[in-house]
Amino acid sequence: MTKEEIIKTVNNFLVEEFEVDAAKITPEANLRETLDLDSLDYVDLVVVIESHFGFKVVGEDFVNIHTFEDFYMYCFNKVQEKAVA
Amino acid sequence: MEYALVTGGSRGIGKAICLRLADMGYHIILNYTSNDDEANKTKALLEAKGVNVVLMKFDVSSTEDCDLHIEKWINENKDKNITVLVNNAGIRRDNIMVFIQPEDWKRVIDITVDGFYNVTRHVVKSMLNKRKGRVVNIVSLSGLKGLPGQTSYSAAKGAVIAATKALAQEVGKRGITVNAVAPGFIKTDMTEDLKEEDFKFMIPMNRFGEAEEVAGVVAFLVSKDSSYVTGQVISVNGGLYS
Repeated sequence: MTKEEIIKTVNNFLVEEFEVDAAKITPEANLRETLDLDSLDYVDLVVVIESHFGFKVVGEDFVNIHTFEDFYMYCFNKVQEKAVA
Repeated sequence: MEYALVTGGSRGIGKAICLRLADMGYHIILNYTSNDDEANKTKALLEAKGVNVVLMKFDVSSTEDCDLHIEKWINENKDKNITVLVNNAGIRRDNIMVFIQPEDWKRVIDITVDGFYNVTRHVVKSMLNKRKGRVVNIVSLSGLKGLPGQTSYSAAKGAVIAATKALAQEVGKRGITVNAVAPGFIKTDMTEDLKEEDFKFMIPMNRFGEAEEVAGVVAFLVSKDSSYVTGQVISVNGGLYS
C-alpha cells in the first residue's frame, strides 16, 4: 500500500466509524481532539485498524501519535513491516 | 448469535452455569483444562438443549493459550459475539501460610488472577466494540472474609473482587456490567473433602448449597433484570457471612 492509499483508507474508516466531518481531517489536526476520543474510544480505533490493516495494535503505540499525519505514518510503517515479515 | 464463554465449565459450578445459560438461549464456549470426559459429557447435555457448543481446552493461566484460542475465535467469528463471560476457573491448594509451597501459591494466583486477565482482556475488547456485555466473576466467601488455611485462595479471590469493582467503573459507560458472585460452601468436586456434617452448624441455612443455586444468581446477573447492577459482589452462602 502506498501512503496515499493508507491516507484514503484511514480517512474513510474514520468518517464512517467515528462520524467525523471529513473537512476536519487535515494532516496537522489533532487526532484525539478532532475525533473527540476518550480512553475507551481508542479500543474502537484499535479494532478498526486491526480489521482494516491486519496488524496488531497495543495501547502504547498511541503515545507518540498526536496528529493525523502521525497516525498515517504509524499505519504506513506498520503495514510496511507486515509486508516485509 | 450470542455466545457465553464459561471458564472451568466442564464440572461443578461452571457446569451448572453452562446449563443455566443454555436454558436462556446462549450458545456456549466451554473452556476446560484437562478432563476431556467431563467436558464431552457436559457438551452433550448442552447440545441436548439445542445450543451450539464450542469446547476450548486450554489453561487460562497461559497468556499464549488464551491468545491462541479466544482471540483467534473472536477474529474468525465476526458474525458471532461473546456477550457473556463467566470467569469461573480456579483451584484450591490449601495449607497454613508457613507450609504453602511457592509453586502452590503461584499456581493458585496464576489460574485465578492471571486467568481473569488473560481471558477478560480479549472478551471485553470485543464487548466494548459491540457496546454490549455481561461479565460475571465467580469469586468466593474466602475473598470477602478470608479463611484460615486459604491465604492463597483468599488472596486470589480478593484480587478478582477488586478487579471486578475497577473494571465495572471502567466499562460502565459502554453498557457493560461486571459483577462477582461469592459462593460459600457449595457441593462440588472442589469441596468433596469437606464434610457437610462438620460445617453446616456454622451456616444459618444449615446446609451446603447446590451449584444450581449459584448458577441462578449468575443467570440474574446476565438477564435484563440486572441491567443497572454493576460492580457488585453477591454472596450465595446460606447466610454464613454478610
